[in-house]
Amino acid sequence: MNLEKVIFGFFIVLAMTLNFGFFLGDIDNPSHHHVYELYAAIVVSLIATVLKFGDRTHVGAILLSTSLAADLQLITAAILWAALDGKMDEASLITYIVSLSGGALMANFVSVILLISETIGQRR
Amino acid sequence: MNSILFLILRRLRRPLILIIVCFSIAILGLTLMPGTDNEGRPWHMSIFDAFYVISYTATTIGFGEIPYAYSQSQRLWLTFSIYLTVIPWFYAIGKIITLLQDTALRQAITTERFAHAVKQLQEPFYILCSYGESASVLAKTLDEKGMRVVVIESQQERLNELDLAETYSIIPHLCADAKLPENLIRAGVHHPLCSGVVTLTDNDEVNLTVAVAVKLINPDLPVLARAERDDIAANMASFGTDHIINPYTLFGDQLAMRVHAIGTYILHEWLTDVPGDTLLPPETPPRGRWVVCGYGRFGKSVVENLERENITTTIIEAMPGLTGCDNCIVGSGMEARTLLEADIENAVGIIAGTDNDINNLSIVMTAYELNPKLFVVIRKNRRHNDALFRQFNADITMQPTEIIAHECLAHMIAPLLAQFLSLVRNQSNSWANQLISELVAVVGETVPERWAITVNKDQAPAIIELLNKNISISLHNLTQDPADRNNRLNLVPLLLLRGNVPMLVPPPSTALQPGDRVLFCGIPDARSALNISINNTKALNYIVDGIEVPDAIVWRWLKNKLH
Repeated sequence: MNLEKVIFGFFIVLAMTLNFGFFLGDIDNPSHHHVYELYAAIVVSLIATVLKFGDRTHVGAILLSTSLAADLQLITAAILWAALDGKMDEASLITYIVSLSGGALMANFVSVILLISETIGQRR
Repeated sequence: MNSILFLILRRLRRPLILIIVCFSIAILGLTLMPGTDNEGRPWHMSIFDAFYVISYTATTIGFGEIPYAYSQSQRLWLTFSIYLTVIPWFYAIGKIITLLQDTALRQAITTERFAHAVKQLQEPFYILCSYGESASVLAKTLDEKGMRVVVIESQQERLNELDLAETYSIIPHLCADAKLPENLIRAGVHHPLCSGVVTLTDNDEVNLTVAVAVKLINPDLPVLARAERDDIAANMASFGTDHIINPYTLFGDQLAMRVHAIGTYILHEWLTDVPGDTLLPPETPPRGRWVVCGYGRFGKSVVENLERENITTTIIEAMPGLTGCDNCIVGSGMEARTLLEADIENAVGIIAGTDNDINNLSIVMTAYELNPKLFVVIRKNRRHNDALFRQFNADITMQPTEIIAHECLAHMIAPLLAQFLSLVRNQSNSWANQLISELVAVVGETVPERWAITVNKDQAPAIIELLNKNISISLHNLTQDPADRNNRLNLVPLLLLRGNVPMLVPPPSTALQPGDRVLFCGIPDARSALNISINNTKALNYIVDGIEVPDAIVWRWLKNKLH
């Protein structure tokens, strides 16, 4: 049992679950997607990225790149929201944002799978 | 570069996470605080606005309260946020600055830059494994000749000298221990364009380590190493070191050459000196009895060579037990008593060969007072004593630095030159004198350039093309000016190497064959003119038969019409 490992795993899983929570719901219904959930997803995803810095192993490098991919899409979604809020109809704006967060979810998903596979590999 | 980036990222992990956490708390709180807009309606700040406000607050830019004046609770939260975010922000900046000043990181960056600079080199280059007195002369001369040099030196002060020196091209340098193979690899031992490694430190052990390491890493790479001890030299030779340079043996050799064949000596000096210098005609050392002060490595080499020339010597040595000298006068030679004991008044020459410059000067000055007709040979150990030695103006000043540098240049600038010089030593003095007068008539009094060409497709495409057409090219053709074939270029072919058979000063009628290597000496203009005739078929054609062959289709057609 290693506290560092616990924190590391916690943030990676939390980044994915928060992302999933935001993504869940009708894609064009703004009331199904709360802005604070996106905010939390971005913050946790950023922390997860920084935690992966400086790991020189091959798995570490792939984990970092999946995290960067998730950050990129989540931040793009946030910028869209901040920039276009009130300038276009809400349904199509939320469609863009949720589809971007869906992309980020895939990246986070890969991240978690890598984490699990690495853990299983260590058990052996 | 990769490793440095990850090193920085790893060290910044903690401050970055701290900033992210503090910012997210501050932003979240600010959006939750109730406020009112200009018309008094309840208003909550959006996440984007909150991010904007916290960003300029944390970085201490502070634009004020936008878009509306804040409510009391918003101000309360912002006050808390200021302390929450500004402190981690400065902590992170402080951490970045400390990181940039970190010696380990800076060393990693300079090493990385050096390796990158070496990797980028597009021309052949030499690696110098020190930047001492002889290596700096060598680096300067090679740089002036347009050859690239890479330097590894373990003392930063010497590299500072290199930093301040004016050079034609950039000399990549690294402050590191050349004994470590990884530093040699960084300096480009594996680089395909590396033409050789030169190790000239005054420590034989270091030179040996470098020579062995280079030969193990890349056995094909030529290595020039300085070695003063015989056992080290033998060890180097067993590892295939290409040229082992012992300044004392070289000087002894040269002194002997001066005694018995002054012409050969002048030729040797003239062809190994830095191009463009003027040489003073050297004096011939007199035959008779010599007094040698100091029987160390230098003294031994001198005595051995003088005795081979049937010159008797009297040795003065302070510590005969240590140097293995059986038949000598004990003393330092600085006081008149010892010199008189050595019968200085009836000697023809004195050699001051201790390893202390001031002692050497003191010896010759005392000796000079006792016998002003003496021929004086003095050994200079440190370059910074130059002014003192110039003041004294001995007949021969032996400078290990210069001897080493010249020897290296002979090997590096034109490898054929070393072969030429060793052949010259077997020739008679009158032969050498005749060659000198021929050379001076053609290239003048200053030290000429030496260069070699190989008759092949890369270096002399024009010659190959004409030879393939069965047109015979002689060496005489190469000495003709491509601008006017009746003019003679100021150059002389010194050596022709066909297969492994050398031909010393080949006659002008010699016909060239593919694969021949020719060593020339001459003035720089002649060198560039020769380059034209061996590269340009038209120019060479003109030289051979005096006819300018039209090159383009139109001219060819016109010529056929007119004839």
